[in-house]
Amino acid sequence: MIEFKGLIKKFGNRTVLNGLDLIIREGEIVFILGTSGTGKSVLLKNIVGLMRPDEGEIWIDGEEVSRFSEDQYFSIRKKCGMVFQQPALFDSLTVFENIAFGLRRHFRLSEREVTDRVQLALKLVNIQGVEQKRPTQMSYGMQKRVSLARTIALQPKILLFDEPTTGLDPITTTVINHLIQDLSKQLKSTSIVVSHDMNCALSIADRIVVLDKGQIEAIGTPDELKKSQHPLVRDFLAEVLSL
Amino acid sequence: MKFLAEIFGELGGTLLFLKTIMTTLVNKKIRRSDVFTQIWSVIIASFPTTAMAGFFVGAIMTVQFALLMNEFGALGYLGGLSTSATVREIGPLLIAFMLSGKVGAFTSAELGTMRVTEQIDAIRCLGSDPLQEIIVPRFIGIVIASFFLLGFGLIMSIFGGMILGDIFAGVNFQEYLRHIPTVVNPVSILFGTVKCGSFAVVTATVSTYKGFTTTGGAKGVGKAVVSTSVMTMILIVLMDWFTSFIGDIVLQIARGYRS
Ligand SMILES: Nc1ncnc2c1ncn2[C@@H]1O[C@H](COP(=O)(O)OP(=O)(O)OP(=O)(O)O)[C@@H](O)[C@H]1O
Ligand SMILES: [Mg+2]
Repeated sequence: MIEFKGLIKKFGNRTVLNGLDLIIREGEIVFILGTSGTGKSVLLKNIVGLMRPDEGEIWIDGEEVSRFSEDQYFSIRKKCGMVFQQPALFDSLTVFENIAFGLRRHFRLSEREVTDRVQLALKLVNIQGVEQKRPTQMSYGMQKRVSLARTIALQPKILLFDEPTTGLDPITTTVINHLIQDLSKQLKSTSIVVSHDMNCALSIADRIVVLDKGQIEAIGTPDELKKSQHPLVRDFLAEVLSL
Repeated sequence: MKFLAEIFGELGGTLLFLKTIMTTLVNKKIRRSDVFTQIWSVIIASFPTTAMAGFFVGAIMTVQFALLMNEFGALGYLGGLSTSATVREIGPLLIAFMLSGKVGAFTSAELGTMRVTEQIDAIRCLGSDPLQEIIVPRFIGIVIASFFLLGFGLIMSIFGGMILGDIFAGVNFQEYLRHIPTVVNPVSILFGTVKCGSFAVVTATVSTYKGFTTTGGAKGVGKAVVSTSVMTMILIVLMDWFTSFIGDIVLQIARGYRS
């Protein structure tokens, strides 16, 4: 379970998150929507301690983590896998070494097990035979999928996806969306997905959160949001509902 | 006033970063293979540049000294004097400039790119410490490699001086080399070595600091590279003065003991 209490994050005199309260239950898939620059990525980065809130608390499985030291965050980061908005692959390493990177540091595995888990992760994101390639030799879409594989290879209990399907073709997008759903069923993982894909949000989310100006504008199940009269929600839904 | 505050802020940030590097170096395990890879890649990348720089520094110094000494008919001491000046002062300084332009810029651009493409955040998420994983190996790599490169550059400068001494002033190789041991004493060599070391530390600290703290996309990387060059140049000159100053004091004390 993840709980945010009165989360405030400022950059200089700009307030990005402005007193955010939210509870995410175990095993839930929560989609976060919001226009560009409302602080979706900042919210995710606060969970894994890449950024620290200025005020407020973040509770993960009964621990208040926002004042943890970098070393204490180690176990939190093992539990919470983050997929970045950019592929963020290490240019100097091969695809195999990229995916093995986290496995080697978070777990004590034999070389055989590392290979198996790398292969499994690549299979899950629907690419194969690229282990020895360098990230710079691959297309953006491929890089994003490798990046996804790098995180799910760790089989974390909590998955944070920052726009996992933005910039991907429709077929891969479907594959990834099913993957998110399967992971939450098989691993019983909790997922927070930042996305602009309204269709997908409506079909696989347990709950949808609409962020605006650092606060929650609307929250509810897909069905509840479809009925909502909130202007921002209607704007987001317009494209889907008109179909 | 604001400008001054900014400069001191930068300096403070750099020193704090050096401290963090040192604590990481002491407390965490650094993979030796990472360090050797870094040393090797820095040496490979900058070998030709330093060799050239060294050669021409030596050559230029010799030409300058030859012009002066010809008037006093003291050309016999040409090799000794110009080598001494090069080893103690000009050699380390100019070669360090070259090196900082090359290695410093490359390092800050590389780290800056890793920062703005979230690779450094990814390292943290994947259970590692970026300082331990990428910064410290680069830092040690640059310091050790720079040290070697500067030393090698100085040898090249003697070589450059020899050749130019022969062509320009008609001092043959034996004669050029004959008085080097008389004028260049262990103290000069120690001075040169200390300077090389301190310049190497400056280049390594500034470039890793600037790269690691880059913000603001591709433009930010550009800015980081520019400020790395400017800052290393300024700090190298300051360090040059500082080491000479300290060196002088040490020499005074040593002389005091002897007499
Ligand atoms: N490191 C930082 N320093 C200063 N400002 C930042 C930093 N990171 C984010 N911001 C600011 O915080 C705001 C929210 O950024 P964030 O990346 O979370 O947006 P987002 O909701 O993820 O948008 P997008 O959909 O475009 O990814 C932006 O206005 C951005 O300028
Ligand atoms: Mg974002």
